[in-house]
Amino acid sequence: MKPRLINILSRLDNTLRWTGIPARVADEMSDAPSVDRKRRPLRWTPIWPMAFSCALFILSLTWPSALDRVPLGGVIVTMTFSQAGIIVWLVQLIHQRGPLGKPSWEDDEREASLRKDSFLFCLGLLACLNCLGQPFVLILSHRQNWQTLHIASVAMSAFLLNVTLFASLPTLYASWNLRQLPKE
Amino acid sequence: MCGIIRLSIYNRISVFRAEQGISRRQLAEAVGVNNQTIGYLERGDYKPSLELALKIARHFGVAVEMLFSFERFESIAMTLKRAGEDE
Repeated sequence: MKPRLINILSRLDNTLRWTGIPARVADEMSDAPSVDRKRRPLRWTPIWPMAFSCALFILSLTWPSALDRVPLGGVIVTMTFSQAGIIVWLVQLIHQRGPLGKPSWEDDEREASLRKDSFLFCLGLLACLNCLGQPFVLILSHRQNWQTLHIASVAMSAFLLNVTLFASLPTLYASWNLRQLPKE
Repeated sequence: MCGIIRLSIYNRISVFRAEQGISRRQLAEAVGVNNQTIGYLERGDYKPSLELALKIARHFGVAVEMLFSFERFESIAMTLKRAGEDE
């Protein structure tokens, strides 16, 4: 192999080592993984997909009639779909390992209780929002005489909002409930 | 009217831990919890289950009442002073 290529490869290796990912993977695959590996609470990240989903829902409620008059309607629709893509990607990142950032079988009693509380909070809030929101949307659709396309877009964005809230709210709740401990 | 009275639970795990010279992590491993849980317990942010309280008490070889109480524990200075007066 050429020395120049070896140099590039070793630099790539060093860059990867610098990220800390290989050490982390090795630690997780070892027989005795370190117990005190810090799990960073996600205090702000879950707010982004929730804000995006809320914006998308409000847009779908208020914009469709205006969309017909806007010449760049296609661009706006594309942007909406890409926004949905960003939301799904962010939600997947947040929800991947649950509200505490780790699988539930690793929980001790405090963490299991926090996990339960965060899901209860989330489901309670979702139930309230849906109970109040559904009649509101129904009345609005009747009063404004919505077309089928409008109803479909509202239903889709409401579904996306529900999924986002279900995936992000428990993480947000658990992250804000984990207060920093002073070092020993 | 019947209401739920939430009492605070005070503990002196940190005192026993310091006395025996063991870290949070060692105690956590001994009783089978995360070391952060010991930190939250010591700070009074988390109330342990009966099982965990008994496990911690057994680890230190004392009765559970020696570790956990509904009343504030006397400070070490006060305990020493009282012990000195008794002698």
